[in-house]
Amino acid sequence: MTAYIVRRLFWYPILLFAVTTVTLALGLYGPGDPAQVYLGKHSDPETVARIRAEWGLDQPFQVQLFKYIADAVQGDFHESLVKYPGQKVTDLIAARLPVTVSLNALALALGVLFGVPLGLVSAVRHNRSLDHIITFGVISAVAIPVFAVSPFLQWIFARELPFWTRDTFGVTIGLPPGGWNGVFSASAVLPAMVLSPGYVAVFARQTRAGMIEALAQDFIRTARAKGLVESLVVMRHAFRNALIPLVTIFGLGLAGLVGGAIITETVFGIPGIGLLTVDALHARDYPIILAVTIMVAFVYITLNLIVDIAYTFIDPRIRYQ
Amino acid sequence: MFKLKAFPVSPVVLLAFALLFSLGCALTEVATSSENTPASSAPTQSANRPAATPTRSGSTPRNTPAAAPAQPRSADELILPFIGGDPPTLDPAVAQDATSAEVIVEIYGGLVTIDKDLKIVPDLAESWTISDDKKTYTFKLRGDAKFHNGKAVTAQDFKYSIERAADPKTESPVADSYLGDIVGVREKLNRKATDVSGVKVVDDKTLAITIDAPKSYFLAKLTYPTAFVVDKANVDSGGRTWFLKPNGTGPYKLGSYNFGQQIVLTRNDIYYGTPKPQVKTVTLSISGGSFMTRYENGELDSTFVSIIDIDRVLDPTNALNKELTVAPQFSIDYIGFNVSKPPFDDPKVRQAFNMAIDKKTIAEVVLKKTAQPANGILPPKFPGFNDNLKGLTFDPDKAKQLIKDSKYGDVSKLPEITLNVSGGGGTAGPEMEAIVEMFKQNLGVDVQIQQQEFASFLQELNKRPNNLQMYSIGWIADYPDPQDFLDILFYGDSLDNHMSYNNPQVNKLLEAARIETDSKKRIDLYQQAEQIIVSDAAWIPLFVGDNYWLDKPYVKGLIHPPFVIPRLKYASIGR
Repeated sequence: MTAYIVRRLFWYPILLFAVTTVTLALGLYGPGDPAQVYLGKHSDPETVARIRAEWGLDQPFQVQLFKYIADAVQGDFHESLVKYPGQKVTDLIAARLPVTVSLNALALALGVLFGVPLGLVSAVRHNRSLDHIITFGVISAVAIPVFAVSPFLQWIFARELPFWTRDTFGVTIGLPPGGWNGVFSASAVLPAMVLSPGYVAVFARQTRAGMIEALAQDFIRTARAKGLVESLVVMRHAFRNALIPLVTIFGLGLAGLVGGAIITETVFGIPGIGLLTVDALHARDYPIILAVTIMVAFVYITLNLIVDIAYTFIDPRIRYQ
Repeated sequence: MFKLKAFPVSPVVLLAFALLFSLGCALTEVATSSENTPASSAPTQSANRPAATPTRSGSTPRNTPAAAPAQPRSADELILPFIGGDPPTLDPAVAQDATSAEVIVEIYGGLVTIDKDLKIVPDLAESWTISDDKKTYTFKLRGDAKFHNGKAVTAQDFKYSIERAADPKTESPVADSYLGDIVGVREKLNRKATDVSGVKVVDDKTLAITIDAPKSYFLAKLTYPTAFVVDKANVDSGGRTWFLKPNGTGPYKLGSYNFGQQIVLTRNDIYYGTPKPQVKTVTLSISGGSFMTRYENGELDSTFVSIIDIDRVLDPTNALNKELTVAPQFSIDYIGFNVSKPPFDDPKVRQAFNMAIDKKTIAEVVLKKTAQPANGILPPKFPGFNDNLKGLTFDPDKAKQLIKDSKYGDVSKLPEITLNVSGGGGTAGPEMEAIVEMFKQNLGVDVQIQQQEFASFLQELNKRPNNLQMYSIGWIADYPDPQDFLDILFYGDSLDNHMSYNNPQVNKLLEAARIETDSKKRIDLYQQAEQIIVSDAAWIPLFVGDNYWLDKPYVKGLIHPPFVIPRLKYASIGR
């Protein structure tokens, strides 16, 4: 086990190096120039050259790459260039991370809370109408893109609903169409409504598939034969066996907490990692783009490892050499 | 500054994007005022004056009386919406966007400033003299001016501040633009000098600044934050984010700043200027999206009105109508022609395209009066604005005739035409669609729209010469002088003239205006130049922005200026 973990850790620097190199190359060789964006209307060639030199963008690619890596290893992820000139990228990310993590955690929690029971019901009612309804519902939920459903929800709950409730009840019951006042405020409701269906669908589908397989096993027949009540059969015997893929999804879901929901944060104006990333992309603010990409890659690699290790606890038959 | 639309998008997506913070702005104003934005910003040009990229908020009940309490919410605090999102910087030397400038002008000060009548007036300098060759300005500083911490402001502080702004390490994007006229600034920026030779400390309270040539608009440039005074000890204390604890001189101090939520400004009780700031605390609320709702709930004392709420606040029977202020902006949207590329190398074709657009209808129907049609280059009320300018007005018959009279002779002989716009959405925005439709209906010309996100658009635009035929963009005033529009955008060699427009007659007028000291004659020169430019049809001037604000009845003296100036000191809370 220890040898396995060490071997996995060995891959960290290689993967992170690859991610950094590709991201930087895409940035530097893609269209658009951060110095030009920074200067905007004042981007005469002389000033652009001055700012590029000041930022080290006139250096050869490999020099920029290795300087970045050397600094990053020591925890210095440089400063924002264009969007928040001079501010440390680590500070910018730290300020936004709580927003993104809390919003995604809410969505993930709702996904588990609704998805797993729906999947269980679906599996128990396999191929009956309730199963079809649930399947249709969750697939629709995941198939409708966020950018299509968000404005619609804003229209209903932030614009139309308040008129209706005021006329009917004399008070306004409406949700803010955007902004952010914390995960426990009304401003979190619409984003959570948009973000959680994806999680619900994944958990429901996976639970259903795992349960259908588990319920067909011999030991389930045995459990029923010895007279166990159906709820115990389902929950204790079948569900435990269906748990492994759910842990994988949950682990990757945890990793996804730090990556911003780019579209959702943009549509609702939520000041999280996603909005920071979009702003940085538009401004060609490479240090921010690099740091966010590396952070997300790092967390995914780590959570993958943790998930793999967690398997051994859930299923003692799994062993790593 | 540049002004770009924040993400022109289809109507459905528009609602969604309407909620964006002025992303565009930022973009837009990258340069801009920035700007953009949604600037994108607008390219991120995200930058920008607020005018450019207002956040559009969602709305609430129509035609219901505002639930506004008649009494002030608080006797010593105003809560105002802050439209642009988090300011990119509060460092005066680095700021180039309206969002940043809006806060900076309240916290810091410079030698001169702009008052609410938009006149250039003394700020930290109480008076100045100009040498006979018009190149040296000698400023006498006020005796009573102090930083927030009580330290007196001296001429050395100004010398330090200007040299710091011109230090390449400061990475100021605008030092060349606003300070580049000062002898020695460009040398310092290019590491050829360690100090700025054109700035001399005569004594503690006297500062002499020498510029490279007589320029009547130089003082106007000093009203921009780049020339503001900062305290060396303050700058040295905090690394590159020293400005989060600024020691300025302005009417307000930075009380606290919660990222993404609010900026709290507190009254500077030792402020030297007049009027003295009255409201003890001004909270600028950043967390946006629902300013209008919060205003109607009495949580905000003022709000920007987005296009979706315009109809009901304009309705005279709505109680909100009495709280409405219309604030014209010093900004203009336009379509620029590349006069070196067919078919716009023929002025008749350019004039025909001008006359084919019914701007009035677009402004009223599509833009719902959030803009007014532009006749010339300078926005109304801007210094030098000419009421008698002869514009190219809507006349489809004459437009068709002009095409026939052109060297192309017929619509069918025109090459393919592409209109380049910046943006990140699916379509170029309803007003651009309306314009292209009018080209089709009134001229029979099919114009293709090509949309690029801001950074790529900017790269195309900045190629010299560029390959565009026509492009849509905007401009927001930096300082109140016609030079800021006419010379910068139309002078043959100007870096911001992307049209290859080079009219010797116009160049001559603009050169003469630069050094003319009689302000009436100077304005006259600019008006002549503007008339030629408009008749030449180098642009299609499209729209001048109109912003709508609501203020609670108890809020007194809060102004909504056409561009960024210090304004909070005029505000008070009444009954």
